[in-house]
Amino acid sequence: MRPTRRAILASGMAAPALAQAPNRPLRFVPQSNLASIDPVWSTAVVVRNHGLMVYDLLYGLDAQYRVQPQMAAGHEVSDDGLTWNIRLREGLRFHDGEPVRARDCVASIIRWSKRDVLGQRLDGLAEEIAAPDDRSIRIRLRRPWPGLAWALGKPSANICAIMPERVARTDPFQQITDATGSGPYRFRQDLFRPGDIAVYDRFAGYTPRGEATDFLAGGKTAHFDRVEWRIIPDPATAGAALQNNEADWWETPLPDLLPLLRRNREIEIGVVNPAGNLGVLRFNFLHPPFDNAAVRRALLPAIDQRSFMNAAIGTDPALSVVPAGVFTPGTPLANDAGLEVLTGPRSLEAAQAALRASGYANQRVTLLGASDLPVLQNLSEVAGDLMRRVGFNVDMPGMDWGTHIQRRTNRGTVDAGGWSAFCTTWEGLDVSVPGSHQPLRGHGAAAWAGWPTLPRLEALREEWFAAPDDATARRVAEQMQRVAFEEVPFIPLGLVRPPQAWRRSLTGIVRGGSALFWGVRRA
Amino acid sequence: MWAYIIRRVLATIPVMAFVALFVFSLLYLAPGDPAAVIAGDQATPDDVERIRASLGLDRPYLVRFSEWVFRILQGDLGTSIFTNLPVAHMIQQRIEPTLSLMIVTLILAVSIAIPMGVVAAWKQGTWIDRAVMGFAVLGFSVPVFVVGYVLAYIFALELDWLPVQGYTPFSEGFFPWMENLVLPAIALGGVYIALIARITRATMLEVLQQDYIRTARAKGAGQRSILFVHALKNASVPIVTVIGIGIALLIGGAVVTESVFAIPGLGRLTVDAILRRDYPVIQGVVLLFSFVYVLVNLGIDLLYTFLDPRIRY
Repeated sequence: MRPTRRAILASGMAAPALAQAPNRPLRFVPQSNLASIDPVWSTAVVVRNHGLMVYDLLYGLDAQYRVQPQMAAGHEVSDDGLTWNIRLREGLRFHDGEPVRARDCVASIIRWSKRDVLGQRLDGLAEEIAAPDDRSIRIRLRRPWPGLAWALGKPSANICAIMPERVARTDPFQQITDATGSGPYRFRQDLFRPGDIAVYDRFAGYTPRGEATDFLAGGKTAHFDRVEWRIIPDPATAGAALQNNEADWWETPLPDLLPLLRRNREIEIGVVNPAGNLGVLRFNFLHPPFDNAAVRRALLPAIDQRSFMNAAIGTDPALSVVPAGVFTPGTPLANDAGLEVLTGPRSLEAAQAALRASGYANQRVTLLGASDLPVLQNLSEVAGDLMRRVGFNVDMPGMDWGTHIQRRTNRGTVDAGGWSAFCTTWEGLDVSVPGSHQPLRGHGAAAWAGWPTLPRLEALREEWFAAPDDATARRVAEQMQRVAFEEVPFIPLGLVRPPQAWRRSLTGIVRGGSALFWGVRRA
Repeated sequence: MWAYIIRRVLATIPVMAFVALFVFSLLYLAPGDPAAVIAGDQATPDDVERIRASLGLDRPYLVRFSEWVFRILQGDLGTSIFTNLPVAHMIQQRIEPTLSLMIVTLILAVSIAIPMGVVAAWKQGTWIDRAVMGFAVLGFSVPVFVVGYVLAYIFALELDWLPVQGYTPFSEGFFPWMENLVLPAIALGGVYIALIARITRATMLEVLQQDYIRTARAKGAGQRSILFVHALKNASVPIVTVIGIGIALLIGGAVVTESVFAIPGLGRLTVDAILRRDYPVIQGVVLLFSFVYVLVNLGIDLLYTFLDPRIRY
């Protein structure tokens, strides 16, 4: 690492500090401000990342997205598939020194089951979630659910964070105030300044598994005594801080700044999360024109996923994946069934003809953007332009994310403050399986914004939950994708794979998903 | 004088009451919903409704407003919807960086701008005057964030003299504190220097035409004495007024400067809160800024009596 002029000058005045250099904290610039510390209450990705540091999970995914025991030593499932007995491994402790008991896990699972999409499924299926003794969790189901372990170890928001029972008893719709966790890092609430800094100290009482680190599975060995999350909202400043050795790791470098960062020999750029984020163009099924499947389908021949990806993250092909179906490319359920609607020759004329034939009556289409989120705004701009060229009467009111997300809850017509379509991105791991794939749901008023009623997709989702093996699950996923391209609850726009940037003095960064703080160390 | 001060302090009460009503109503009418932001991208409408209810956002305007006012009267600014921390605590965490930035900028601006304006007036029509006015035009024209990025590039990235970002509390030493404030203060001070320098020059030009200046010259007073004792003192009332008005500029500029230099001050707290629709924080910070502004104006009005003995309240 190149010694800086300021460091050399400072060394004369602060020799003891320099002598401690090997133990100095890891300085991480997260994607956004950590506003909440409750990974069950908040769905924000940054809060989930905080949660993965502070809380351990019963199960964890490995880099091949297979579920492995983490806090659990293992489990047994009854022959009828209705009863799960999960055994906790020994030596688990909370940050206050108390042992992790099964009743803590039960309370944590119950709280999570009120908020998370898969948790809610457990809530509906569970006849009993109990702790027969301090190390055993018993879950009795009304119907078999082979994917229960996957759900308990899911890495996307909301994670099933294991908290002490007294904390987990908090109303799921209220935030926790006690940050006592079970993970490899202890959150220093006394040093927390939201919008400025979040400090995590290595928890000496954490017992990592004996296996090698493998994404969220295996041993979570923390090598830094302290990790500091430094909130730097301005991308140019964050980039300058990384170049100037004032930060070690930046989670979301702006694509525009990548060439500049690449010129710096001290900085490495890489894709840590290959599952990335799936771009989504979502329609409102409640009102014309997108209540008509023919209108939704009319757009398909004109969709060029590469254009969307170039606008979202730049032209570097390593930073995006096309074609993308409804499941995250590169994950086990990704498939080509029905994908020819997006991979065949692109034709604006075909889309225009399909729109004319659909019965579209020039109704106003209100497309929502979010000017403060560049990726979303850029996807929306491309979608808006494409829709206009196809022949839609498009209105794109300017708004920030706070306004956008409120307007999305409006079920009225566009004249009553409603909306017609919007672009967003979904965490790749979320949309890698039907269980947590909200854009594929079709359960009407209870569904994600857009509220489609699609019984075929709902039935297939149930089939996937009951799938006894991987081959069946894959076959169901193929059917779901075909139906999705017929009904078009959304259009996939490609997979964004945002890179991360870190100083070369860091080694051992764990790949697979979000930024993780075990395994990584200073060279 | 004391009666005047008491009258002015009492007059702040209706002003603050109006500000409170205005801020609360504006946020009530503004688009956006913290419950939807909390619930996130994946939430169903039912989730959002449950969160709205748990936050009390589903209650009528008058109920919420009266509860908020009642709490304010008890000195309670409320609790952040997102962090669950008391707003007063969050303001307390953030006030030092903003105050530091404003004080350093103020000192820097006044100590540069007033001599610049005086010299420009003295050397009216010369290249010095034009240079000062040119600088003033630049100061007004170039946005704070552009100046900030250029300064960071030159002095932090290229020369490695100063840090790019961050803030070190004063308690950790004067030089570390100052090190983090030099670039932001220069960036923020540009427009302020321009404003004060222009007003100083214009007022000085007017004062230098007065009979008593001619008399001072006739009595053989030196140039320095004429400029800084006879003229500047008589020009000071408009200059002080502009310095006071400029506090609002500083508050607005601090929002941008704190973002560019990642200073964890009240400006960034405000922006973050607005983007998330964290109503209690926005309301608390705007009330605080308004109160400060009212106090600064009061201070300036009182200062007039010292600068111009003819002014009496």
